[in-house]
Amino acid sequence: MSDELDRIRREMHAVLQQLGVRPDDSLQITRRTFIHRSLLFGAASVGQTFAWWPLLNTIDVAHAAEAPFKFAWISDTHLYEKSLNTRFVDKVVRAVQEVQAMDPPADFLIFGGDLAQLGKIEELELGVDLLKDLTIKKYYIPGEHDWYLDMGKKWGELFGQPNWTFDHKGVRFIGLDTVSRGPDYWTVKKMTPEERMGHMATLDGTVAGAWAGVGRDQLDWMQKILADWDKSKPIVIFSHNPLYEYYPPWNFWVRDWREVNEVLKPYTKVTNIHGHVHQVLYNEIGSMRSIGMLATSWPWPYAPEGVPKLTKPMIRADPGDHFDGVGWETVNVNAEDKVDVEYIMWGRKEVFVQSDPDSSLSQPEKLRPRMADNMWPY
Amino acid sequence: MTIRATVLGTLCRPSFVVAIAAVAVFVGPTSAHKEPHTPEQLKLYEDVLMEEVRKGDLLFHGDAATAKQMNVVLSTTGMACAMCHPMASDTHPQSYPKFQVETSKFATLRDMINWCIEKPNQGEKIEIDSEAMKALEAYITWSNSGSVLVPGKH
Ligand SMILES: [Fe+2]
Ligand SMILES: [Fe+2]
Repeated sequence: MSDELDRIRREMHAVLQQLGVRPDDSLQITRRTFIHRSLLFGAASVGQTFAWWPLLNTIDVAHAAEAPFKFAWISDTHLYEKSLNTRFVDKVVRAVQEVQAMDPPADFLIFGGDLAQLGKIEELELGVDLLKDLTIKKYYIPGEHDWYLDMGKKWGELFGQPNWTFDHKGVRFIGLDTVSRGPDYWTVKKMTPEERMGHMATLDGTVAGAWAGVGRDQLDWMQKILADWDKSKPIVIFSHNPLYEYYPPWNFWVRDWREVNEVLKPYTKVTNIHGHVHQVLYNEIGSMRSIGMLATSWPWPYAPEGVPKLTKPMIRADPGDHFDGVGWETVNVNAEDKVDVEYIMWGRKEVFVQSDPDSSLSQPEKLRPRMADNMWPY
Repeated sequence: MTIRATVLGTLCRPSFVVAIAAVAVFVGPTSAHKEPHTPEQLKLYEDVLMEEVRKGDLLFHGDAATAKQMNVVLSTTGMACAMCHPMASDTHPQSYPKFQVETSKFATLRDMINWCIEKPNQGEKIEIDSEAMKALEAYITWSNSGSVLVPGKH
């Protein structure tokens, strides 16, 4: 671990993992596995390519709700134009069919960002077109891949304001924009929009820097919309990036997690659900729980350091099967004070690692950042 | 032979051409190991490595110009190696050679690179001792510097 990372890690630990501070005591995590009915529809309609009957793994997180309900999450579809890549399209089609087939239906869908791969109008419109078949209410937050070609212009035209809030059956939902406030790395270097997007679209790039953040203005907005909310009532916050620090070199964090924690500290039942990491993640930060979601496009490996200790890692995906290691989620808020997150991973009976050799974490890695993107003429 | 090929491949980088030419003079077969190494020599060896790493980094991250220049098609799906392996993570060069589950064969890192090019990326397999292969190997191993050798580890 680099000295800088080590220093921040210690600080985060001191700030967020204070003795006795945890998410609400009544909460507990369990895990169960069962066959999901809706998958039968999905598999029947798209044919034998999907040879497995996937089972679901569930993380139960408790919360109070007025009435039980379910919502679905899809994110990180990273759509290319159809002419280049149909693989990612197929997976969105499958996820949409499966969400649409949920019975009882989901109350709404959250799309967690990275709809497009290179922010192109055609890619974003393709996404809208594919998601059109899903008739439930849809809410969108942006990912960095959606934003940095035209600085959110097309995204805004399609989806409106990137941050929003609504109440649903006793839960306050908040969508955050954690991508649009990146530092300007393009003006001085006179980059074209495509070059700017190229750096942003490279997870391990070194040029775009620490782009993930909530921003003072949005933090003030969040504080304001939470001011009238009972401190012990549930809040679910959606963000593209995790709201804590996992691995900054890949922007698996928001740079202002300290300030986020300050705003959320008084509230005892906060759940953050995020995309961007393309992997199963679980963490508790102060009084907040944080849950990382699968991509439909491809899985990222766990970072070489910083994986939260509370995370039960997902399996190491089979690179020969592009339906492995990816999928979508349902989130079930039920009357028994629980929020269940069900990971629907297409290639697997077991989402979570059962033994060491199934985990990418069983091979310790020492990695260094890339170098060619910072050299002339790049 | 290798040195000459490298010189030709880097004509667009004049200062580097000079450096490589100097290597040829200092470490040509007739003078090898007869004199103590100078700091300049060591620097030049490092430069040769880093030039391979640079090319490998660009190929690994899907740089179209580099692929074209080296006459390789590593992917036709829009996917680049780095999209599943940021910072060459999860490539585990330290674990080779090993029994490769994907091919049911005892394999080297180069075999696996070709498998990834051909299968998930749907690109064109490259010659096992080609310049592009050496560059990719250089980048992957350089990125994983410091990892402990564990041949055969799954
Ligand atoms: Fe993503
Ligand atoms: Fe992202």
